[in-house]
Amino acid sequence: MSKIGNIPVNAQAGKKRTNPLAGVFDELVQFCQSRSMFMLHYCTGCGAIELPPAMTSRFDMERLGIQPMVTPRQADILLVTGYVSVKTLKRVILTYEQMQSPKYVIGICSCTVNGGMYWQSYATAKVLNEYLPVDVYIAGCMPRPEAVIEGMRRLMRNIEEGKGHAWKDYFQRYDYYLGNQQHLFGDDWQTPTDIIGEARHYGLETEQTYGEHTRILEQHQQPLEPHKMRIKF
Amino acid sequence: MSVLDDLLLFTALASVAIIVVRRFASVSKLSVIVYALATVLLVKMSALGYGGEPIYSSFTLNVLGQNLYWRFDSLSWFFALITVVIALFTSVFMSGAWAEKYCQEHSTEAYGLLQAALVLNVLSMLVLLASGDLLSLFIGWELVSWASFMMMFLNQDKVARKAAIKYIVYAMAAAMSILMAIAMTYSMTGSLDYVQIMQAVAHLSNTQIALLVTLYGVGFGIKMGVIPFHLWQAAAYAETPGPGAVFMGAISARMGLYALIVIVVQIFSLTRVAAIEIPYTFLNMQNILAWVGALTTIIPTYIALKQNDARYLLAWHGVGQGGYMLLGVMIADSIGTAGGIMHVFNYATYQAALFMAVTAVMFRTGTSNFSKLGGLVTQMPLTFMVMVVSIIGLAGIPPMNGFVSKWLVYRALLLDGEPLLFVAAVIGTLGTILSVYKLVHNTFLGQLRLEHQDVKEAPLSMLLPMLGLVLIIFGTGVMPGVVLDWVAAAQNAVGIAPITHNLGGIELAQGGLDMIWVTGVMFYGFAVGAIVFYFLGGKSKHIHQFDNYAGGHFLTSKVRYHYSNHFYAGLMHLIGGWYKDFFKKLEQALVSLVSFLSQLSENFYRSAQPAVLVAAVAFIALWFIMSSFSMPADTGTVAPITQGIQGGLPK
Repeated sequence: MSKIGNIPVNAQAGKKRTNPLAGVFDELVQFCQSRSMFMLHYCTGCGAIELPPAMTSRFDMERLGIQPMVTPRQADILLVTGYVSVKTLKRVILTYEQMQSPKYVIGICSCTVNGGMYWQSYATAKVLNEYLPVDVYIAGCMPRPEAVIEGMRRLMRNIEEGKGHAWKDYFQRYDYYLGNQQHLFGDDWQTPTDIIGEARHYGLETEQTYGEHTRILEQHQQPLEPHKMRIKF
Repeated sequence: MSVLDDLLLFTALASVAIIVVRRFASVSKLSVIVYALATVLLVKMSALGYGGEPIYSSFTLNVLGQNLYWRFDSLSWFFALITVVIALFTSVFMSGAWAEKYCQEHSTEAYGLLQAALVLNVLSMLVLLASGDLLSLFIGWELVSWASFMMMFLNQDKVARKAAIKYIVYAMAAAMSILMAIAMTYSMTGSLDYVQIMQAVAHLSNTQIALLVTLYGVGFGIKMGVIPFHLWQAAAYAETPGPGAVFMGAISARMGLYALIVIVVQIFSLTRVAAIEIPYTFLNMQNILAWVGALTTIIPTYIALKQNDARYLLAWHGVGQGGYMLLGVMIADSIGTAGGIMHVFNYATYQAALFMAVTAVMFRTGTSNFSKLGGLVTQMPLTFMVMVVSIIGLAGIPPMNGFVSKWLVYRALLLDGEPLLFVAAVIGTLGTILSVYKLVHNTFLGQLRLEHQDVKEAPLSMLLPMLGLVLIIFGTGVMPGVVLDWVAAAQNAVGIAPITHNLGGIELAQGGLDMIWVTGVMFYGFAVGAIVFYFLGGKSKHIHQFDNYAGGHFLTSKVRYHYSNHFYAGLMHLIGGWYKDFFKKLEQALVSLVSFLSQLSENFYRSAQPAVLVAAVAFIALWFIMSSFSMPADTGTVAPITQGIQGGLPK
């Protein structure tokens, strides 16, 4: 996992916070955020079978404030539950990029950690966090519901302590992730989302956001401008 | 010369003028001026809308010693105002770009005929609304039927022609039923005049009243398209050329309601109708009529839910909304009747606006098929706004005017202690909300198709009447008192206690309604939301339609991601089994029965088999002789049959 350390909450550099209560508010926001987690489970492999017991009456994840959500726009957690083939990985990346920040990724099963039993497969992405910033891995083949819940609680603890900021890494080091993606999918890889624009929107662009891979992307990317509302007779 | 003379004469002369100049381009302008002047004449009669005395026409006829005359009372004026104003909006709508395109696609002659059909419809409706006795009512009724038929027959498509023929068959049945009822009324009361019949009704037996109400009800109900006569209307109205559908959909079928109010509510009075118990049930005649209204709200609305064509969806709603009016009128207290009559006005405004919006979409894209539309909101934002405001009215959601009349009907049902009818009306509203969402989603929301990337907004000549109607829909929603004044006068005219109201709504001891407050609170909520979204946050981000979640699938222009086919799959899983096409099958069974019988008699008539004919004639003759000995009373029925067959012997 990339060593990104603890990124300060206020991203706008050079702006000193003068409000003495700012820290209190931050803690309050983090507390609330950690207790309202909507997860989008991208059930790619056998790990998905451990989710029904984790979510339903026996282990009842909802008592911790975690519940399923149907679209990425409203979800906080992307749950990748097993091996990701190259074809699937494209979809996982698109889904992740469509989620709104702050967003978190949990990799379940050994396959997401290091390829697991698919280590020798030619069609499988081995290490998930080369392509997406992963907050928490839950190892095991497959991990039991208790382990899944433990992983979730770890994520919640991280968020509450202000440590769950892997999503910022995706914007800050976009070139690295894009490079790995291009290595796997080819140079003409592109999604309809606009990551660099979003990085600018959040004020998270660094010199590592750009690089040789973003230049390759810029060469062939067709910007998708939203349809403008217009009155033309 | 009274103002009514002026109005009828003017409209008649205008019809002639429009028919004469129908091939020239000036016919559009002429028709707009005609309806504008007719509106002015109606405004001159506006005392009627505030409880004025009826205005009589100076033209009368004498038939069978009966005086045929024409007059306007408050109820007629209310309906006439809606008719003429909708015609005015329609004529503006069809005057500009739409006319050019229609002339190119068809011919100048076809467009002129459409204008002629429109003005003849208006004229015949005014004649019907002005009728002062049963015979003039029947004359007006027939004129309206044939004028409608002319309008429907303009579309040369096979489907449209079939629908028009179907309509005229239904209309003939209705006319026969009404004619029979009028003849029976005349023989029972000896008069055709409303006032004299009203006095004579007190002496009629319950059986006679029940028979008359049934015959009149069937006749007028067919025009309204109530259950089980609802099958003709949707296709006939939907297939009429754009502006024709606007006019017909908005007001034409309401003539049935007008006549029903005059005959059943005013002349027979609902207290008398309610006194007729249906044997072996706990229902009375009024309950039956109210339940017909309730079923008419439910069944056609849920048929509308399944339509895949915007025009058909709207036309089916037209049938369903008629049920609310009938239901409201049949509750027979001042609130319910007010709701029913007011719904005529509200419905006409939003139905016209909706048909105009759909016609505008058809004008730009060439189709009203949901499977070929979608995402037009960015291209036609004003038309979208018109449709949204109108469907809010149609679904009965504040602050639009449809809410007020539906509220009145619900309120009356609750106060009257009719929980089952109330639930039925609510089920109808649920279907309305679901299907209008389908309408706006499949037309304007979702994915914009590649071929519609360059679609423009509807032209101004079509937009202006739409926006005008939107203003009326919103204005009378916030200040329903304007319309309730007229409604109260109409109630007074048919002998029902007028509703107590003010500008904002209804005063009621059990809890009234003030739309000014309701709208104020709503807009306060909107303002708070707008401040939060636009000023405090301001973080919204516009994205391209392909940046959308499709289960992780990559969307391109080749991948359709607009959900329009089988739209309510989940709901249909629950209620789909209830669609049994019962009435359609019933109609088909009737049709095949009639055609079987006619085929049978024709074959028999034309048969070249003398042996069969001789045997048949011999048998019938023998029966005739035998029965004349034993049952002399039967001869009257048998004799004509024998004559008929003898007349048809092969040459």
